[in-house]
Amino acid sequence: MIRLENVTKVYKGDVTALRAVNLEIQRGEFVFLVGQSGSGKSTFIRLLNREEVADSGKILLAGKDLGSLRSWSVPALRRNIGCIFQDYKLLEKKTVQENVAFALEVIGQPRPVIRKNVPAILDLVGLTQKADRFPDELSGGEQQRVSIARAFANRPTVMLADEPTGNLDPSTSVGIMKLLDLINRRGTTVVMATHDRSIVNSMQRRVIELDRGVVVRDDSHGIYDEPNGVYE
Amino acid sequence: MEFTTNQTAYTNDGPLKMYRIWYYFREAFASIWRNLSLTLAAIFTVAISLALVGSSLLVREGAERATAQFQEGVEFIVFMNADATVEQDGAIRDVLENSPAIEDYAYVNQEQAYEEFSTLFSDKPDLVNSVSPAVMPPSYRIVPTDPSAANVTELARQFANQPGVKEVATATEAIRQIDDFSTRVSQALLIAAVVLVVVSALLILNTVFTAIGARRQEIEVMKLVGATNWFIRIPFMLEGTIHGLIGAALAIPALFVVDNKVLAFFQESDAVPLFRGFAVPDGFVWDTSIWLLLIGGAVGMIGSAIAVTRYLDV
Repeated sequence: MIRLENVTKVYKGDVTALRAVNLEIQRGEFVFLVGQSGSGKSTFIRLLNREEVADSGKILLAGKDLGSLRSWSVPALRRNIGCIFQDYKLLEKKTVQENVAFALEVIGQPRPVIRKNVPAILDLVGLTQKADRFPDELSGGEQQRVSIARAFANRPTVMLADEPTGNLDPSTSVGIMKLLDLINRRGTTVVMATHDRSIVNSMQRRVIELDRGVVVRDDSHGIYDEPNGVYE
Repeated sequence: MEFTTNQTAYTNDGPLKMYRIWYYFREAFASIWRNLSLTLAAIFTVAISLALVGSSLLVREGAERATAQFQEGVEFIVFMNADATVEQDGAIRDVLENSPAIEDYAYVNQEQAYEEFSTLFSDKPDLVNSVSPAVMPPSYRIVPTDPSAANVTELARQFANQPGVKEVATATEAIRQIDDFSTRVSQALLIAAVVLVVVSALLILNTVFTAIGARRQEIEVMKLVGATNWFIRIPFMLEGTIHGLIGAALAIPALFVVDNKVLAFFQESDAVPLFRGFAVPDGFVWDTSIWLLLIGGAVGMIGSAIAVTRYLDV
């Protein structure tokens, strides 16, 4: 599903965000990206979403080579990828259901399709009761659910999550993880960058650890800390 | 609904599907409403500049029509009295045929004079109905061998003294006056218009830039979920085009005011001979209006296209 071959990304000012990264993620996997701030997790996500382009190496996602992708094909790629963030990126002037409908509307889905899908997606994330509320009337956890609903509205094959529980308390975070797990079980590959030790430890999924742009660990059923306790 | 992943091809969505047209217009008008004061400034600038462009075209057309009788080397016209005798007429014709000073001439009889008059004032039927062929002066349009101003003036003076001659109009003075006048007016208008057209394009650019700024967040989400670049661009370009079209629509009534009041004022004044021919038919004003709409739309589209390519980053 996702393959990185010798991928290096250097930002202006000679900051190396990723250095010669090689790895492969299978369809349907759930992968945690861990590491300190500045270790390259966000760059990893942004490369997969093609918000950034690698300086060298090759990234394949769903059979597409992101390096040689024309800019006009990027929208087609993004329709296959759902993205969620620490700050939700919801539109404050739209209601919950309008936020979700917006994602379908702007990719040209016809009105009947939108009318049919939006309630079903809101039901999946458990926000049917709050369909007509505005984002500032919701708790952080609810806002993140809206953002997941929006990301999942077009039923993408890959879900990218950059610190999705970064602003949430532990019990709310568990709810979000259950939702991501549900989406993953329906076939969507999930890649999640996180600092959250307890979530990673409780999920027992694949863990890829980055340190200054280099993959230093890749456990198929890992925990947040290195087994020998060296990593803090 | 079954939540399986999207294994199929991406949604087929050309940017011009019918159900999206509604979206584009809704977004464009919502943005215009949000940004009303800037929008009005842009629209009024377009209106003023296009009114000037149109006026310049009308003045030029008026001048061309006023001097239409003096084409193909005709330097002066001898108007005969409508009741000139055959002898008086024959005497003039005799001179024209035999004088070495005359290269060529054409006779315009009362019928033809009336025809010409009705064509010139085709949009003023009252005026045309007030005359008949019988009151129109027949005339000789004369091409002299030597077209110099001094010679033409001298010839005109000689003809004017002949019996049966009503008046002599010479091209050298009348055309020069009317040409000078119309060239100066239409050039001044055109220069002002070009400057203002550029200003309007910049104002539209700025308005659309502001509209883009107001929707930064939405644009970010649109890119994130895979909206195509054209889908994001079109509402903004439509917005600029609407500015240009509304501005042009406002300039059209101004054009008719110029036609009915300003050009009519010149026709009625006796300041310069031939100004009475300074008229353009309504048909020409409508043609000019269509040009203004095209120019307005183009200015709006260009201004907004620059804003979109410079600031939208899509």
